[in-house]
Amino acid sequence: QQVDEQPQPASFVPSEMLMPPDYAGQFFQPASNSDYYAQSSYIGSFDEEPPLLEELGINFDHIWQKTLTVLNPMKPADGSIMNETDLTGPVLFCVALGATLLLAGKAQFGYVYGLSALGCLGVYALLNLMSSSGVSCGCVASVLGYCLLPMVILSSCAIFFSLQGTFGTASALVIVGWCSLSASKIFMSALDMEGQQLLIAYPCALLYGLFALLTVF
Amino acid sequence: MATTAAPTGGARNGAGPEWGGFEENIQGGGSAVIDMENMDDTSGSSFEDMGELHQRLREEEVDADAAAAEEEDGEFLGMKGFKGQLSRQVADQMWQAGKRQASRAFSLYANIDILRPYFDVEPAQVRSRLLESMIPIKMVNFPQKIAGELYGPLMLVFTLVAILLHGMKTSDTIIREGTLMGTAIGTCFGYWLGVSSFIYFLAYLCNAQITMLQMLALLGYGLFGHCIVLFITYNIHLHALFYLFWLLVGGLSTLRMVAVLVSRTVGPTQRLLLCGTLAALHMLFLLYLHFAYHKVVEGILDTLEGPNIPPIQRVPRDIPAVLPAARLSSTMLNATAKAVAVTLQSH
Repeated sequence: QQVDEQPQPASFVPSEMLMPPDYAGQFFQPASNSDYYAQSSYIGSFDEEPPLLEELGINFDHIWQKTLTVLNPMKPADGSIMNETDLTGPVLFCVALGATLLLAGKAQFGYVYGLSALGCLGVYALLNLMSSSGVSCGCVASVLGYCLLPMVILSSCAIFFSLQGTFGTASALVIVGWCSLSASKIFMSALDMEGQQLLIAYPCALLYGLFALLTVF
Repeated sequence: MATTAAPTGGARNGAGPEWGGFEENIQGGGSAVIDMENMDDTSGSSFEDMGELHQRLREEEVDADAAAAEEEDGEFLGMKGFKGQLSRQVADQMWQAGKRQASRAFSLYANIDILRPYFDVEPAQVRSRLLESMIPIKMVNFPQKIAGELYGPLMLVFTLVAILLHGMKTSDTIIREGTLMGTAIGTCFGYWLGVSSFIYFLAYLCNAQITMLQMLALLGYGLFGHCIVLFITYNIHLHALFYLFWLLVGGLSTLRMVAVLVSRTVGPTQRLLLCGTLAALHMLFLLYLHFAYHKVVEGILDTLEGPNIPPIQRVPRDIPAVLPAARLSSTMLNATAKAVAVTLQSH
């Protein structure tokens, strides 16, 4: 019951070409084609409907793969994995960041969402200007959201001890470097912009630096 | 909007010939925006119509045909027949014209592709331009070359915003009418864009050969000195150090900009006006950034760290011990005086 055609203007590769051979479950592209609605209309019977996770486009295996790519910044990234717009992981990490900040005594969900939205827009504009092929806002949001994971680790450390000392500053710098290195590595492989990793890493570092300011202070 | 209209399109396609009348009037064929628009122009609410439609599906086909014949008259806002059809056509055309104008305006003003060539840089270029922005070149006979790019200046402005925010957070600055982030961004971008425009206007008056892009790039790279000075002095709180850096680093980057402008302007009065204004604004901005967001730190340091008072600060002078025997009492007097001073200062 997998739908293949995707008549959308974004520069996405059709999912059948992206699928690595070792994927077990089916992967369903959400919000991209009109057959999707016809399939799940009220006329069809209950048995014909796809499973809920498939319908929502949440593939835990995929999310785990991307998380592992982010956590290991030295491993070269596969450019194709970031081509689909998967916002489940990023939203999960943003909520996790807000939750850990809450546990540390700062109810700053609004700041987290606002910063991530504005940061996405800014990086989207910059990448569109700097890369020869365009990039969609969803892809940028997905990459930036996944690379927020080390920041969640930093803010969970902030629950146990204050980060306002030298050690806190040093660990914040390390985490910011880790996040921006992962993000620039994935952007480089996805957009094929060799030699400009530092130019992409710096704006990402500024954005994650703002998140670090939020976490530390 | 294409995807949200697709289900209604799909449902309507499956619903039968009742909606065929509308589809005949659609000019563009597959455009979902027009579908919604026409659907909204029916006599009742679209949901009610769909409910009725569904009802008719389950009844005999004779009723369906009768409804089809009825609907093909094309009711439009309560007007049947020719008037309804004419009204629908006019509404359609107005929508099309409006849509065309809006998309043309959008593609003209919101097209960021016109900025694309200014972001085509290599890391080595950016690095060398950053270093060159601190080195004034004394060549006044030929116009000095200015790199016309926007990546470096934009990143420097954002870096200044980040440094300012860091300084405000470490000094626990409280902004009452606004947010920290808004203030920082407003200050830095306001300076970059505002002073660039003002100096460009002055350059136009003084007949200097410089374009707006070059002015933006020049001033943007001039903020590199500001970033260095503020980064160091927000962390090491010594007034003497700040003044030294202000003169040295701030002065160097100002001299560089002044040299470039002098090489591009003819006439001593014009040069004086242009370069004097730029130098004054640039140096005063650094002074403002340091003192506006840093003052609070001194107060906290004085109350918390007591003895580590910088020499320029006004401190209560130690009461000198006149006799060795009186040293103990003078120590007590000094301590009391200091405590009083601290209490007074904290108010």
